[in-house]
Amino acid sequence: MTDASKEVGRDATAPMPAVTARRNPLTLIVRFQSVIGLILVLIGGVVFSPVRHGQLLFLAPDNIANIIRAISETGIIALGMTFVIITAGIDLSVGAMLGLNSVLTAMLMTTANLGLVPTLLLVLAAGTAFGTLQGLISTRFRLEPFIVTLAGLQVARGLALVLSGNVYINISYGEGPGLAPPVFALLGERLFHNVVPVATLVFLALAVAATIVLNTSRFGRYVYAVGGNERAARLSGIPVTQVKVAVYAITGFAAASAGFVHAGQFSFGSANDGAGYELTAIAAVVIGGTSLFGGAGSMIGTIAGSIMLGALANILQLNNVNASLQLLATGAIIVLAAALQTMVGRREGSMR
Amino acid sequence: MTEPILEMRGIEKRFGGVHALRGVDFDLREGEVHALLGENGAGKSTLMNVLAGVIPPERGEIRVKGKVVQFASPREAQASGIATIYQELDLVPGLDITANLFLGHELMRPFAGLDNRRMEREARARMAAAGVDIDVRRKIGDLSIGQRQLVAIAKALSYATRVLIMDEPTAALSAAEAERLFGVVRAMCARGVGIVYISHRLEEVPRVADRVTVMRDGRIVGDEPASAPQARLVNLLVGRPFDQLFPPRAAALGPELLRLERAGFTPAAERAGWQAPRDVSLTVHGGEIVGLAGVMGAGRTELLSALYGAGPPGRWHGSVSVAGRPARLQSIGAARRAGLAFVTDDRRGSGVILRHSVGRNVVMSILRRISPAGFMSPAAEDEATRRSIRNFDIRPPRGDVLVGNLSGGNQQKVVFAKELLREPKLLLLDEPTRGVDVGAKGEIYQRLRALTGQGLGVLVASSELPELVGLCDRIVAMRQGCSVAEFPGGIDEKVLLESATGIAGEAA
Repeated sequence: MTDASKEVGRDATAPMPAVTARRNPLTLIVRFQSVIGLILVLIGGVVFSPVRHGQLLFLAPDNIANIIRAISETGIIALGMTFVIITAGIDLSVGAMLGLNSVLTAMLMTTANLGLVPTLLLVLAAGTAFGTLQGLISTRFRLEPFIVTLAGLQVARGLALVLSGNVYINISYGEGPGLAPPVFALLGERLFHNVVPVATLVFLALAVAATIVLNTSRFGRYVYAVGGNERAARLSGIPVTQVKVAVYAITGFAAASAGFVHAGQFSFGSANDGAGYELTAIAAVVIGGTSLFGGAGSMIGTIAGSIMLGALANILQLNNVNASLQLLATGAIIVLAAALQTMVGRREGSMR
Repeated sequence: MTEPILEMRGIEKRFGGVHALRGVDFDLREGEVHALLGENGAGKSTLMNVLAGVIPPERGEIRVKGKVVQFASPREAQASGIATIYQELDLVPGLDITANLFLGHELMRPFAGLDNRRMEREARARMAAAGVDIDVRRKIGDLSIGQRQLVAIAKALSYATRVLIMDEPTAALSAAEAERLFGVVRAMCARGVGIVYISHRLEEVPRVADRVTVMRDGRIVGDEPASAPQARLVNLLVGRPFDQLFPPRAAALGPELLRLERAGFTPAAERAGWQAPRDVSLTVHGGEIVGLAGVMGAGRTELLSALYGAGPPGRWHGSVSVAGRPARLQSIGAARRAGLAFVTDDRRGSGVILRHSVGRNVVMSILRRISPAGFMSPAAEDEATRRSIRNFDIRPPRGDVLVGNLSGGNQQKVVFAKELLREPKLLLLDEPTRGVDVGAKGEIYQRLRALTGQGLGVLVASSELPELVGLCDRIVAMRQGCSVAEFPGGIDEKVLLESATGIAGEAA
């Protein structure tokens, strides 16, 4: 048979070509742009930190806890968003999904009186199913994910409003009907000398899982290949349609996780929460070096991008900078990150 | 002899680790056609991109009419009277010919917007000057590739006052269209324009050029009169004597791999311009290369993609069997399980991922095999990458180079390597050497023969008759979706052409 592997035995003595090589410095900067950016922001945070009682406010344990707690929900969403964006897709429904799932969590625990684990499983299943449905609609009817998930955003928000009757669903803890298990309140707590928020631990655990899947699994390769060149991927036998559906299932799962965490942190479910989170998540992904054109990006970048955005917002808040100026700063950073990528794209991209 | 209107001296350029131009000197005189030859990756396109202001050189100088110039953009080059016609045409498909000709240089009426009437009138004049007869109100998207090429030429002619660069202008043209193009080229020269003519087709050189320069590995290796013998040019191109392009044919045949008997494919929905296979009978054995001949639109590409399950949804009828068993080739997955592999005619669009490395590309077809339990095995991946690079002599021999930075010939080798890592039984090839230079062509032919020697069967569609005649053991002629005749390899090209067109050719 046509066995290319036979050739290995035939001239196994031939020198193996080198598979690695040096990269140019600009490429390295862009590859780690989010990490470098994060370090710069942290340095800036220390330099510009207000001082109170001889202590840098920025580095105070409470402040650090605040930063990493504030980014945990959008961070979880950004993890899922990374998969979608690498396939050259987008998911605008995630913020509304967070709201819907926070409502769902609160209602399942209080009104339906379910325990912690059944609630978690149901919420995750609901989010995954919602994402899968969006993926199926987009692939089956060849609709742009932008449109499908824009519709999904409206549907999720509408569902949440209908379910909740547009009121906060408060969660009270205790034993008995209508009360949530007290262990759920842990999501709002901090561990390790009252420094590490539990919500952040959830983000970290999911971040590790997402990194491993994207970097080392076969599915991760499928994701890059589909975003890199869908037709080439299809002709190479990659199940393109399934991969495209799967990434929306992942964003659905991530948004549901974030909704669950949200309900636990604040002890209520609210249909209107999470508005605009999709944009924060997309910003974190782009700052992290993932290309909106698909085929390139990294999970580490997204994680660093999320923390960087959180730290930046925190510095500006500590210095009492106007909230509108914070938006301006975020905008400038997104442009800078995208410009750096394009510069390298020009250097490395094909000129022939 | 006239003064050079253009001189390039000591031009250097690198892309990452690839040294694309190593001190190139090039000049062009008024009213001259200067052919520029070179294998893919020799640096001709890069040199011309430098000249056209698309990429800045790292070192060297450019003089136009004796004056040193530096182009920061294609617009500046155009302002100096240098225009380019690219292989990938820079036309907007959704706009009509007039709008394309005036793109960025629209004529306006004072306070009244676009002067459409004047633009249309001038567009007609420009098309006529280029010797093209197409209604200027037609949309680019509705034109054939050949017609688009002619529009691109008309467009470039309106800027090119001194220098016109033509990058493989005849690649997609029919013989008659190419002949008309040569007429336009000569008319341009008579007006004093210097033309740089890039081509892979050696036989065009004496017909159109005055002088020929050959590039290899980023250097100029020869400057010859256009009357230089072809053997001399080939020698310069590949850097070694080039005696035998085609390897010897198969010695022995293996078992039957593919049999089509009165087979056809009915798409669920008619697709304009997609000539479905209607009535095809052919066989391919192990160890054999079978060619598909036919004119554009005969259904060769469609037959291959339908066999691979990559066509539109639809159903096969008649008898299709693979390795002696009836096969249902309804999806890519089914075709691949049956042992088929496919190399498309559009390597950039559907063959490789330009932004990914060579390693990432070649293993794309065997991801399942090298990821036990769903997680990638770096050792298996590395091994597959090295093996592919060595078997196909991919240059530079590094797994981490982005495919977009490779030459066309090496990109094509990546596509072959990717499909063959899977160890298919039957390889379907669509225009396997399109846009590939003569040296890489020879390497690909040798490699294919080596693989058929190990039992692979190949079904190859090509519009290059010399390729079919020289490479194949048997050739099946197709017309309007039907197989109409079968010939042994080595047959007279004229006989094949008559069969494929259905017209008896004139006596020689």
